[in-house]
Formats: sequence, structure tokens, C-alpha cells
Amino acid sequence: MRRVRVPVVLALAAAAVIYAQVVSSYWLHIAIVSMIYGILAASWALLAGYAGQFSFGHMAFASLGGYTSALLVQWTHLPIPLGMASGTVVCAVLGSLIGWVCLRMRGPYLAIFTLAFAEIVRIILLTEYAVTNGPAGLRVPHLLGTPAKLPYYYIALGLLAVCLVTMSALAHSRWGFFFRAIREDEEAAAASGVHVVRAKMYAFAAASSFAGLAGAFYAHYIGILTPELGSPDQMGLVVAMAILGGIESLPAAVGGAAGVETLQEALRSAGAWRFVLFGVLLLVTMRFFRNGLLQPAWQRLMHPGASEGKVT
Amino acid sequence: MDYALVQAANGLVLGIIFAVIAVGLTLVFAVLKIVNFAHGELYMMGGYFAYYAIELLGLSPFPALAAAIAASFLLAALLERTLLTPLYSETTERKAEYGILITFGLSVALRNLALIVFGPFPLRPPSFVAGVQQWGPLILTNDRLVAGGVGLLVLMAVVYIMSRTAAGHALDAVSQSRESAAIVGIDPRLAYTLGFGLGGALAGAAGALMGPIFSLSPSMGILPDTQAFVIVILGGMGSVPGSIVAGILIGLLESLFTAFFPDPTRALSYSNAFGVLILMVILILRPTGLLGRRHMQME
Repeated sequence: MRRVRVPVVLALAAAAVIYAQVVSSYWLHIAIVSMIYGILAASWALLAGYAGQFSFGHMAFASLGGYTSALLVQWTHLPIPLGMASGTVVCAVLGSLIGWVCLRMRGPYLAIFTLAFAEIVRIILLTEYAVTNGPAGLRVPHLLGTPAKLPYYYIALGLLAVCLVTMSALAHSRWGFFFRAIREDEEAAAASGVHVVRAKMYAFAAASSFAGLAGAFYAHYIGILTPELGSPDQMGLVVAMAILGGIESLPAAVGGAAGVETLQEALRSAGAWRFVLFGVLLLVTMRFFRNGLLQPAWQRLMHPGASEGKVT
Repeated sequence: MDYALVQAANGLVLGIIFAVIAVGLTLVFAVLKIVNFAHGELYMMGGYFAYYAIELLGLSPFPALAAAIAASFLLAALLERTLLTPLYSETTERKAEYGILITFGLSVALRNLALIVFGPFPLRPPSFVAGVQQWGPLILTNDRLVAGGVGLLVLMAVVYIMSRTAAGHALDAVSQSRESAAIVGIDPRLAYTLGFGLGGALAGAAGALMGPIFSLSPSMGILPDTQAFVIVILGGMGSVPGSIVAGILIGLLESLFTAFFPDPTRALSYSNAFGVLILMVILILRPTGLLGRRHMQME
């Protein structure tokens, strides 16, 4: 994250610590969920915004990460952090497999394929209730023995920070450059010596493993896991978060996740209308502000004086 | 064996309806070059339009079906005018991904709007014609016969429109080359609105026909949407006859899969996965679908 200025990071860290001290445990919970969605939205932005691979199977990986960890812990009494790590590894392997299988698929075909993959995962999780307890949900042991929210909050904060730093490093590395080259023009990238096969597999593996990690942490935090985690509506929520924030900037996607999650709670009195609001907000953003709402603001904060434009 | 026969008959009806949905999807793809991820939600809206035409306006089922088709056409045309115009602008970058995201967002918005306006509980519109028909071991409800019969009529109408009318030829011309079509005097913008409207009308017709059979719910569009993808990939993106054949084939195969699956408690859930599995295998083998026409590929 060499582009990020130190004072901004320090200010954000201080704000996070102060926030934890002043708010009630209810808003602490909102913050924890926001950070989990932040990892999901940012990793989807890495895959879709940077590498141009519009996958709708992202939440299926979150689901797989959660179920893998929960079932491993249940069957083998593995320590929970090891379970979460195995969930992440399983998602990385499956993710690179999907990336390899999808090599020749473009745009809408990739979207359809990944949507189909997500549906199959959801149908299997729903149907094999002997193992997964189906739609009623699988009870998952909690990560910590305490009901207090504060430790979870700092773990989520740490996970988010580690994930963001890793993703930014990847996005600003040679491979991140290759991702963007493939997004712009696959043939031209290949002709210029980009190893397209490997780059696509890496992009899918990386994004899926972050999704798996987020899903596993979510499962062990909430304590119950249903196949709905991988539903098209959940996928829509994450897409909305990433798009509202700005799909070509990782911190903006995290900001979008926090914004959407907070609004969702603040508008709880509006009932189900708030989902419609997000849908409409997503449509308006896509229609008129394709760089997202937060990314231009973030850009100005990070590079004062620099002209507006896409992160490259 | 009798069970298999009934399943085959049901599968045929289902296949015809799938074909109607898929033809709408393929038409939108041919003309606008986008995959409409909100197609299943237009199917859902068609069902509710018919329901409320009966409940609130007091229409009888068949006029309500016509009203639902008209309303779906208008809704789709309106959505196209408000949301899809950036697709035609030269300044829009990466149109394919705009098309994916805007229609995906639309599907989430429509589904949740329906959840509030129509409520989460399944609604069942009255039957078109009550009762059942029986020929020997074969039993079919009248509603299924109506759905199959009207569905066939709708399919024939589409084939007629596309092959015999000026509007159909104009749509076909725009689908092959927007610039050349414009040169010979076809307004592409009109063709886009017409194409998307027609696609919506077909989805709406299917929804209205299925209402009395499967009941209406806000999430009823998700499954037919995936089925339509399977069919369109199988039949070739942009090919109307291909979608009709593939639709009927998938309907039959799926019903027979349910009939012959060894574990009956799981058969129904996995019959949905069956089509999706076919889709994934085809895409792996042929990334642009079976029978995909060259000029139909994304620009």
C-alpha cells in the first residue's frame, strides 16, 4: 500500500479504536459484519474491477469456506483457526479450478457459468440436509468462548487490514498489472507476453480465498450457517457494495460495504423498502456514476491536487 | 411406466414454457447484445400482472393473459429506455460489463420490490379452465394443457413475426449489423426498444401461463432464469429455432430425470441442478455455447 499516506492510515486506525470505545455492542456488531462484507466486496472488486472477470459465484465461495470450516471443526475437532485456514485453502484450490475452467469464457458467458456454479453449490447444500442441516442452518461453534463483541471487532479489523494490504500489494504488483491488461484487451495482453492462463487462475484463486476466509469468519462469528449465504440476493448485496463504493478501488469497495451495511441498519424502520432502495441506488450509480460514489472522494483524499481519473 | 408417461407429458408442457422464456432471452441477446439477468423477474412480473388484472380489474383469465403480455411489453420497453441507453453510446466503455451489472441490479431491485408490493406469500391466480383430462393412464390438468397450447401459439407467433413481418426483419437486420441496418433506414433505437419489449412480453406471457400451475412468488423467476440460460446456451445465443428445440428438450429431460432418479426424496431438488450441470459442461466444452452463431458474439 505504498500509495496510501501514513497519516490517513493512522487516522483511520485511531477512528476505529475510538469507535470501539464509544458505541454500544449493537453498533459493534454492525461494524464487525460491515468488515466481513468489506473483505467480500473488496475481493470481488479485485476480481471484477481489476481483472475484469465478472463472477457471480463469489458468495458461493464464502459459503463453501464457511461450510468447510464448520464441518471440519465438527467432524475432526480441529481448532477453529485451522478450520478457517482449511476453508480458505479449499476455496483457493476450487477458485483456481474455476478460473482454469472459465479461461475461454468471456463477459456474459463467464457470468452465467459462475451463476450456475453458485446455484449448484446452493442446491447441494440445501438438499444434503443429513450433513448440512439444509435450510434450517448448521450450528457452528463460536470462534471465541465469550459473547463479548469487542474481541471479535479487533479480530475482524485485523483480518480486514491483512486482507486489504495483501490485495493492494497484489493489485500493485506485476500480477495486478497483468490483471488490468487482461481486463482491457485479452489478445493484446497475451501478445505482449502476459501469461493469461496463469493470471486468470491467480485472480480467481486470490479472490476466492479471501471470500472463503470471510465466509469462515462469518460462520464462526454468527454461529449459524444457511445456504442463503450463497444466494443471488447476497451476491447482489456484495455487488451493490462494491459498485456503490467504486469497483476499481479496494478501499472504496470496503467503504461501500460499510456504507450499505450501516444504512441497512439505520433504515431498519423502513422495513423491506431498504432493499429496494439499494437496488435503485445500484441502478442509478451504474447509470450515472460508473466510477462509484466513494472512489472519486477517496481519490481526492489520497492524491490532493491530482486530477480525477481511474486508478491505474 | 405410467409415471414416466405422465412425467413426459408434464415435461413437454414445461419445455414449451421454458422455450417461450428462452426465446425472449435469446431475442434480447440477438438485438441488444446483452444477456438480460433480469429476464426471470420479467417472467415473475407477468404472473403478477395477470393475477391483479383478474383480482382488481375483474377480467376473466384469458383477457388477463393478454393484458399481462401488454403490460410486460410496456414495462420492458420503459426499462430499456431508462436504463439501457448507455449501451448504444460510443463513449461508454466496456459495454458488456455494463449490461451484466445493470440487469443484475435490476433483477435484485425488482425481486425485492415485488416482495414488498405483492408480499412474500405465494398467490394463486384462478385456473384458466378448471378440471383435468384423462386418456388411459395419462392425466393432465386443463391448466397445463392451456399453458402448453397457448405457449405453442406464442412460439408460432414469434417465428411468424421474425420471419414474415417487416418488424421482424428489421430486428434481424439490427442483430446482424447495427450500422448496415441504419444505412438502409432502420432506426436502431426503435429496434432496441422493440426487441427488449418483445423479450419482456414473452417472459411475461410465460409467467402468466405458469401462475395457476406453480403459484406466484417474488422469487419464482430465479429458477426459470437459470433454465433459460441453459436453453439459450444449448440452442445457441441469438437463435430462435435453436431455443425452441432446446427448451422442449430440457423440459422433457428434466422431468424424466426426476422420474428415474434413484432417490425420490432428492429427485426434485437435483432435477434443478441437472439442467445447470448440462450448462456448465457445455460452456466448458464450447465457451460460446452449442450452435452459437459467429456474428452473435459480443462486440
